[in-house]
Amino acid sequence: MSTHHHHEQDFLFKYIFSTDHKMISKQFLITGFIMGFIGMIMSTLFRLQLGWPGESFWIVDKLLGSWAENGVMAPDKYLALVTMHGTIMVFFLLTAGLSGTFSNLLIPLQIGARDMASGFLNMLSYWFFFVSSVIMLISLGVEGGAASAGWTIYPPLSALPQAIPGSGLGMTLWLISMAIFIISSLLGSLNYVVTILNLRTKGMTMTRMPLTVWAFLFTALIGIVSFPVLLSAAILLIFDRSFGTSFYLSDIFIGGQVLEYSGGSPILFEHLFWFLGHPEVYIVLLPSLGITSEIISTMSRKPIFGYRAMIGSMLAIAFLSTIVWGHHMFVTGMNPFLGAVFTFTTLLIAIPSAVKVFNYLTTLWKGNIKFSPATLFSIGLVSTFISGGLTGLILGDSALDINVHDTYFVVGHFHIVMGLSAVFGMFAGVYHWFPKLFGRMMDNKIGSIHFWITIVCSYGVFFPMHFLGLAGVPRRYYTNSEFPLFENLIDINVVISTFAIVIAFGQLLFLYNFLYSALRGPKAPQNPWDSNSLEWTTPVEHIHGNWPGEIPEVHRWPYDYSKVDESGEFVGGNDFIPQTTPLFQNEKNEKH
Amino acid sequence: MTSVSINNQFDTAEDIKKKTAKPLLWIAIVSIVMLFGGWTSAVIVSKGSSPRWFSFDLPFAFTISTLIIVASSLIFHYGLFSIRKGNSNVLKLASIITLVLGVMFIVSQYYGWKDLYSNGIFATGSKSTSASSFIYLVTVFHVLHLLAGIISVLVVAIKSLKEKYNQENTLGVELSIIYWHFLGGLWIYLFLFLKYVA
Repeated sequence: MSTHHHHEQDFLFKYIFSTDHKMISKQFLITGFIMGFIGMIMSTLFRLQLGWPGESFWIVDKLLGSWAENGVMAPDKYLALVTMHGTIMVFFLLTAGLSGTFSNLLIPLQIGARDMASGFLNMLSYWFFFVSSVIMLISLGVEGGAASAGWTIYPPLSALPQAIPGSGLGMTLWLISMAIFIISSLLGSLNYVVTILNLRTKGMTMTRMPLTVWAFLFTALIGIVSFPVLLSAAILLIFDRSFGTSFYLSDIFIGGQVLEYSGGSPILFEHLFWFLGHPEVYIVLLPSLGITSEIISTMSRKPIFGYRAMIGSMLAIAFLSTIVWGHHMFVTGMNPFLGAVFTFTTLLIAIPSAVKVFNYLTTLWKGNIKFSPATLFSIGLVSTFISGGLTGLILGDSALDINVHDTYFVVGHFHIVMGLSAVFGMFAGVYHWFPKLFGRMMDNKIGSIHFWITIVCSYGVFFPMHFLGLAGVPRRYYTNSEFPLFENLIDINVVISTFAIVIAFGQLLFLYNFLYSALRGPKAPQNPWDSNSLEWTTPVEHIHGNWPGEIPEVHRWPYDYSKVDESGEFVGGNDFIPQTTPLFQNEKNEKH
Repeated sequence: MTSVSINNQFDTAEDIKKKTAKPLLWIAIVSIVMLFGGWTSAVIVSKGSSPRWFSFDLPFAFTISTLIIVASSLIFHYGLFSIRKGNSNVLKLASIITLVLGVMFIVSQYYGWKDLYSNGIFATGSKSTSASSFIYLVTVFHVLHLLAGIISVLVVAIKSLKEKYNQENTLGVELSIIYWHFLGGLWIYLFLFLKYVA
């Protein structure tokens, strides 16, 4: 069956309308990174405003033009930037960019499949994502500006086009873009689940799958269950905005005029939105947790501790994520009993999360750790998962949450536990699987410098936000200097903004390393990290169908690192035993 | 198209399709269930939170629609039974009848909407409320999904007329039937929900 490369594919189908999962993975990665950089630049610009309110900046003037007269950001455009930063980072970078890249790259390679169940649907998934990205970017340039109601787009602000400039065409485009995005995400998730369940190679039982694949499976399942509910919410909002229904609106005045809406409830939107919104946190986080499990085990040359507990805790997190959405709504006049129920379910998530952290630390413990940039970012994830998770306990408790609701405490919390953890996981994944993506190696030294700048500045940005929040500074305010109450806090904002600027420049190192290595980096060996999993048995150069001959058969789980026999020698002679290695004589009695 | 050559390079393209087509459909159905689940939960939330919520009798046409869609499902399934026994003629007839009943369902829904409208229950505008809009929303979106079902039944009808199905090859018919049964089940759920809960 040596029929690979039997014809040259034309450029259009090889690079553009490709149905090959590896190419689609790269498409997701690059589009996601472009969106991520745009989102990061936005945050740097509005940090300038927050750190030095009202001051004129040359860069703000150049980049924002009419949004910033004389280099000072206009208040409504500040809101547009905050909204778009959140939307782009949560959905475009950390949902599509992260899942799209690594689910596509790793699922077929790690389970031993030629490609996804449906290459065509997979291609559609990317192109829907691309179109939705373009629409979202176009919305930045329309009259009235981009959507400005926050990434959660609560009605009535988002439902009434006449409410603020950013509720006009920008909001309409936001909704259209998100509807297309949801379709993209569903098509992707469909494929991931069906591929994992049906196309595993011989011997690849479910409990021999790497934890990455388990994480992608749960991520896709949560997406399938929760994204349609966001679609249902968005459709209702589109109808309210454009077709005169009153799903979210009732008894509302604007500029002294009575509007003819009757019977709706804005709280309804919050229920529907957060039914997606909370699982979305885990859609963003689980792939990174999976990536980290794989990297920590490989790089500390030890079997992952508690493989089944890892699967169980991911399952528990996935399930619990769908019954906690009310903790975003403690201040909506919710029945206190219901609040207590949501507090209970929310705090339960601490248990599987703690199991995961314990397992990461135990896997690292006394390991022969190789500190690659991927390892560093994985350990960084464990750190942010702990420090962000602890403040989650405060926010999940209704009695405590009400005091810091909608303050910078919340901003600090979710940026650390969701934003940083997911981004660190994504960086770890890119550093680790770069040889698989591009056939070349990234520079370790630049990668390590990138890590240290990133983690120090990340905490520098988000840790002080907790103090702002405890002092009562609300999120999404254009400036905090107008309030005597917050006057003595302005220095904290200067610190935060300074770190934000440094971290933004720090990412240029990554960009340089990524681009230079993709084009000029040293050629990668087939298995650069001495890893056990199946993706490293494929040729370095990408070929259709992944393996030139038969798909290899799997005989063991992927975490046989540093396995020793009774005499203390490594089983098989190396500190790793690839999944394709048949059991040795002295292993036959063990469970595999 | 060259881009799908991976499947063509190996004799497994058919196998992969056979293995994955149904799970793909089932999971797509789960996501549609969640879409309508979102809306019907929204009805419950709205009903509980709005003092101006009102209930009304469903138009009789919706009962007719229910009978039509149940009949179409039974007939379509009889077609599958027959092709499994090798009788393609029954499948031809069954798929065409299903197609006709599908169109009749939409017509019946249309009469239902007309009835609602003439009773002052409006989808949009100043006289509408969220209670009146929801019934249009869920029924119209059900019909939109039914249009996809009708296209799939049309494909089955054409392919059966061309004798593309036989005892071994019934995958296309099965896929279409799963989706069609789902649409019937979804309608019965919506009908009972609108009648007794909303």
